[in-house]
Amino acid sequence: MTLALHLYRRIMRRGRVIGLLALAAVPGLVFWLSAFDAPDDELITLYTDVLASVGYTFAIAALILTTATLRDERDSGTLPYIYMRPIARVNMAAQSLAAGTAAALVIGVGGWIASAVALLAVGGDLQAAVPSLSLFVAAGFGYAAIFVPLGYLVPRALLVGLGYIIVVETILAFAVEGLAQISIWRISLSIYAGLEDGFGEVARQAMTPVTPGVWGGIAKLAGVLVVGLLVLTWALRKRDAL
Amino acid sequence: MTDTIVVANLSKWFGLKVAVSELSIGFRPGVTGLLGPNGAGKTTLLRVMAGLQRPSQGEVRILGVDPRQDTEIYRKISLVPEDESVYDRLTGRRFVELAARLAKIDHPVERADTVLDTVGLNDAADRALGGFSKGMRQRAKVAAALVSDPEILLLDEPLNGADPVQRAQLIALFKRLGAEGKTLLVSSHVLAEVERVSDRVVAMVDGRLAAVGDVATIRAAMTDKPRRIYVDTASPRKLAAALITGSDVLGVQIDGDTVRVETSDAADLARRLPAIAIDHSIGISKVEPVDESLESVFRYLVEGR
Repeated sequence: MTLALHLYRRIMRRGRVIGLLALAAVPGLVFWLSAFDAPDDELITLYTDVLASVGYTFAIAALILTTATLRDERDSGTLPYIYMRPIARVNMAAQSLAAGTAAALVIGVGGWIASAVALLAVGGDLQAAVPSLSLFVAAGFGYAAIFVPLGYLVPRALLVGLGYIIVVETILAFAVEGLAQISIWRISLSIYAGLEDGFGEVARQAMTPVTPGVWGGIAKLAGVLVVGLLVLTWALRKRDAL
Repeated sequence: MTDTIVVANLSKWFGLKVAVSELSIGFRPGVTGLLGPNGAGKTTLLRVMAGLQRPSQGEVRILGVDPRQDTEIYRKISLVPEDESVYDRLTGRRFVELAARLAKIDHPVERADTVLDTVGLNDAADRALGGFSKGMRQRAKVAAALVSDPEILLLDEPLNGADPVQRAQLIALFKRLGAEGKTLLVSSHVLAEVERVSDRVVAMVDGRLAAVGDVATIRAAMTDKPRRIYVDTASPRKLAAALITGSDVLGVQIDGDTVRVETSDAADLARRLPAIAIDHSIGISKVEPVDESLESVFRYLVEGR
């Protein structure tokens, strides 16, 4: 796992991590601000609604972080130092995905902690925040599977990734059910919904038309991961490594 | 001795730009200089050999293997890239250790120590690469390339930025590795530099082979090239008349106070010019050789083929 560790350390630059943790903490902040006058019995509903609708900030944080996994090496001209090593390309792809996923999870857990602290701050029960960890973890895996290969393959990966999040996940997925079924955010929400009984109406709308279900969501994420691994392996084998 | 690197009908293009054109050549153990002006295709050729870029046409075999098909070949081949880029935050030692670990070397720490010593970088090895001079970075890159004890070493302008002492040390190292039976391909745009590293030279221009052979052959071919020399004088007509009698002078043109001379033997003209000036009492204020760039010389070699 030398390569994964190297890539992880490289993308987790202090300034970048601080900035992205702040971005991932936005849902927690929004919830804290909106829950001041909320009745206690509506806290969880509000909590799920805010996470589902504002949680896209984590998607953007994950995009910035995970596209950098191999893109940083490529842009700085250091890719030959890792590419010209006796490491099978599928292994290299797996280690890159592992590094990107680990980085996204760190930011995701940071975002979740911020939301949990916000829930505590307005008098909520910390236990109630636990299921929402699944949202950040699932999204971390899913976005890394898409954005690590994207960062390697596409020169303007941030722009393309942002287009995916805004156009595909938030606009087209409402109109096209097929797209919704493979939307990372909706899949992650479906896993969260499978663990949380008090899902709010806004959160359900954000997940539509995907239905709640932990194992179904995990299976879809596993599929996305396999596709990400295959695409990245192909790219490392076939594309110029510069 | 068989070729360790075989390049067959290799072309590499980027859109409409052809970087390497139908190149066929083999490289054997020892040091070979890859010479050519900037933009000649040297870096692209080395990158394709290293498996970093796909050939658009043709193929490259490293020890009989296509480097893009079998990653195990990277136990036997290393590249020192031209780019100055390194991991600025890593120390020299960590950089070389990382290379050793990625290359799956046993005892990476000890091996890193050994190669840092080989390139004379042990004293500075615990400093961040970002603070290294260009020459030190080059040596760190060479150390990282040597860490797997490769049979084939591709070095893209490895002497760039090195001071004279560092140059001498690196050249001695390359020669020693070549003498040990390793295949070294050292690219440069400076003939004198290549001359110090190797007897065998491959010259490239515009992605094509311009000349292959020993340094003496290349030098002779370059000497044959007609040169243009501009001489500033107060008596241009008198000087032109005196010069035109020389057998090496191919043509003379007067432009104001400047006499433009085309000669087949610039060295001989340089010897004769002071004598002509004294014999004919001609004052000369400036002698300027033009068209002397390596690129123009290489173009001459290509056009003459």
